[in-house]
Amino acid sequence: MSDNEIKIGDTFHWDISRRQFLAMSAAAGALALGAIPFTQNSNAKPARAQNSRMPPTKFDREVFTLCEQCVWRCGLRAKVVNGKVYKLDGNPNHPHSNGMLCPRGQAGIASLYDPDRVQFPMVRAGDRGSGMWKRVTWKEALDYVAGKLQAFKQQFGPEAMVFSSTHNLSQVQFENLLRAYGSPNYGTQRSLCFNGMIIANLLTFGMQEPGRDYSGAQYIIYSGRNLAEAISNSETQDLIAAIDRGVRVVLLDPRFTKTASKATEWLPIKPGNDLAFYLALLHVLITENLYDKEFVKEHTLGFDDVAKAIKPYTPEWSASKCEIPAATIRRIAREFALASPHAFIHPGWRTSNFVNQFQAQRAMAIINAISGNWNQPGGFFAGAGEEGGGLGAIPQPPYPRVSALRLDGVPWKYPLVPLEIGVYQEMRDAILAEKPYPARGWFVHRQNPVASLPERKKTLQAFSKLDFIVTVDTTMNDTAWFSDVVLPEATYLERYDPLAIVGDGVFIRQPVVPALGESKSALWIFKELGTRLGLQDYFQYKDEEDYIRQQLVPLGISLEELKAKGHYRPPAHAAPNEELKFNTPSGKIELYSASLAKNNFAPVPVWQEPPAPPADQFYLLTGKVAQHTQFGTQNNKLLHELFPENVLWIHTKPAAERGIKNGDWVYAESAAGKIKIKAYVTEAIRPDCTFTTPGFGHLSKGNRVSYAQGASDSDIHLTYTDPASGGQALSQTFVKVYKA
Amino acid sequence: MASENKRRWGFVIEVKRCIDCKACMVACQVENQVPLGKHRNWIGRIGPTGTFPILGLKFEPGNCMHCDNPPCERVCPTGATYQRDDGLVLVDYDKCIGCRYCMQACPYDARYVDHEHGYVDKCTFCVHRLDAGQPPACVETCVGGSRHFGDLNDPNSEVSKLLATRDHYVVYAEAGTEPKIFYIS
Repeated sequence: MSDNEIKIGDTFHWDISRRQFLAMSAAAGALALGAIPFTQNSNAKPARAQNSRMPPTKFDREVFTLCEQCVWRCGLRAKVVNGKVYKLDGNPNHPHSNGMLCPRGQAGIASLYDPDRVQFPMVRAGDRGSGMWKRVTWKEALDYVAGKLQAFKQQFGPEAMVFSSTHNLSQVQFENLLRAYGSPNYGTQRSLCFNGMIIANLLTFGMQEPGRDYSGAQYIIYSGRNLAEAISNSETQDLIAAIDRGVRVVLLDPRFTKTASKATEWLPIKPGNDLAFYLALLHVLITENLYDKEFVKEHTLGFDDVAKAIKPYTPEWSASKCEIPAATIRRIAREFALASPHAFIHPGWRTSNFVNQFQAQRAMAIINAISGNWNQPGGFFAGAGEEGGGLGAIPQPPYPRVSALRLDGVPWKYPLVPLEIGVYQEMRDAILAEKPYPARGWFVHRQNPVASLPERKKTLQAFSKLDFIVTVDTTMNDTAWFSDVVLPEATYLERYDPLAIVGDGVFIRQPVVPALGESKSALWIFKELGTRLGLQDYFQYKDEEDYIRQQLVPLGISLEELKAKGHYRPPAHAAPNEELKFNTPSGKIELYSASLAKNNFAPVPVWQEPPAPPADQFYLLTGKVAQHTQFGTQNNKLLHELFPENVLWIHTKPAAERGIKNGDWVYAESAAGKIKIKAYVTEAIRPDCTFTTPGFGHLSKGNRVSYAQGASDSDIHLTYTDPASGGQALSQTFVKVYKA
Repeated sequence: MASENKRRWGFVIEVKRCIDCKACMVACQVENQVPLGKHRNWIGRIGPTGTFPILGLKFEPGNCMHCDNPPCERVCPTGATYQRDDGLVLVDYDKCIGCRYCMQACPYDARYVDHEHGYVDKCTFCVHRLDAGQPPACVETCVGGSRHFGDLNDPNSEVSKLLATRDHYVVYAEAGTEPKIFYIS
């Protein structure tokens, strides 16, 4: 590894120094294809027979652990040969993988052995983004970070330090650190993903996301959810199996996705108008008496208010908005009712990414509720929470009281958004505006705000307002590139994390191989920082194994037993309480939400007209591909090879009008800026829409595979926040498209 | 061993279940240490066909078909390509001189040159895993459950049952290669 050449105390250019070193080693004939063990036989003489160069079938060891190429956390079996991870397979005993892995999971070794990984702590040694760094020891780095945090706290109060992270198993200890430190300022990816969905479900059902029973389903409606490409492994498996069984699947999406090609019926809905579709569905179900009256009476609150509100929303009215024929809407409502309660409308993730998405989500939740599908085969059920689940807790003192306002406006501007969810894009804007007070520092763990937040230019401007930025990550991503300190985290194949609960099982992430270089687990990093900040009482674990042992105490299983099998299912408890209770203020499903009314939002779903692009512009839609996760996998060589750069989908007709041919370079320009990107001319999208995949156009030269590949949607996405859910309206950006 | 000889390995692919995620391609690349830039398996894409909004899209995964009548074997001047008793068509890397006649002969474009080693390579049906009693890596990881593998000579195998009950086709039947990947449409 080139990194061995850089000694502690050396100042170097992260890109150039490493390139030079790599060039030298190539000349010396020592360079294999990165560290991926594909070429481990490269110096071997050609084999005499087929079998002598066969891949191994015996392994030094097989380790059960958990994937982290996305947040679905599939179970893995990692096979080790000669001290290196050779191959990752799905764990058949894990309900999220069922023995299978998606391409990202299969490609995990190329993330582990990515030559661009950060393997030692670094402090910036030139201008931000210059690529100049100084290698330091962990002690120096941690002392420096803790010193900065302590100084901000004394001089400006802990609220001057903002924190952000992404859904992950060690997040609980990151949150512990920031709460013990005393900062209220915390942002996660959620408001960029699905605040609308989780807050609508919280208000209606008292839970963030109901579970879905595919095995008994007869009819499923999806809004924008593209399970064939935005893979959630087990749910994708469930969907494909359901389609194979003949379950009717209706999919609303302005684009003909791979999921659309599998659906029974694809409805190319006009963006931003899913709410109109669902209001009309409600209209038909209620006016034609196609709902479960007994269930509504027993378990819900406010049906009459909904019935009154939806009167104007006839299918004919809806058709004029969402551009799905009235007869189709009526038919789907009747089919759904006929299949109920063995039917559900999938909650989606980012249904209709406009500021009205929250009300669309509420309408979807209400349809599910009045169909009486709760706890029915093929319906909704209360999903088991990930947290707690009978695990032992690590003792800790109460947190200090926080008196400062949160920069992101929760709850003073966004009263309905839970504190742990937040409004990420508003936090950035508040840093930029220095209102209600200036922030001084940003602590980023496993987040990439430079890439993920809309209007990248603004995020970089917000960085310039800050005295100090520290990033904990495995690679030199775009945020690390513009940071002052980078702390190297071990990858998911090299570290422990707190235990994961799935259904009735407990699963462990454990190191398969020792961590490369000096990279460390998040559990270790946070404890070390906490200790230096005088917060050691909040981190009462000796090390990672001790942490898990404390979690295991109530289960009566040893760490060694858990490590050997990778999972543990406690003996079944007494029969689960079948009585339906919902964690809402009334204990019932709240079709009418008093919380919404109290905060001056529509307590039952009503129409909110979404903005539409001017005649010469397009909707800009974004979504995933199966080969990448957000902003984190583009530097993975195996995945890069399958999907190296994003393109801009544009319909054949508007493309022809603009003289754009397939593969041409075009500009997509919004009020926020413009990107240069290759056009993909296709019939498979509405003529008023364009589409691209996020996660490309990296600025960091430290990621040598993904640097400058494709274009960043964050350069052109505008920032619009839904006042009810705090969700970023990611589809509300309109673009001009023209030949470059 | 007698029963071993009666085996006839083959694939049955349910086209409808393939979501084009390419997990099979990554699994194969890692399992078999296929060089970056090469793949032993693929996902053919047919479409999108039609005009908006009446559209179709179909994915047809594939790999070496291990033909019963393999043209690659016939043209090989050194006998490097050979057929096992269980129907697998393999390359003896020691005998391969990299002439690429086999690549010309293969109607499925299933072979590639391994430049590092100087021989032609292709899918082996994961023969090393078969011999250890495991399915090929691409089959094991198939998220859509599209890829099935088994003994075509065993009437009770999953593949035989699928072929007995479902309409199926082979690719380039007219080439007379008698491929052992069967597609259920």
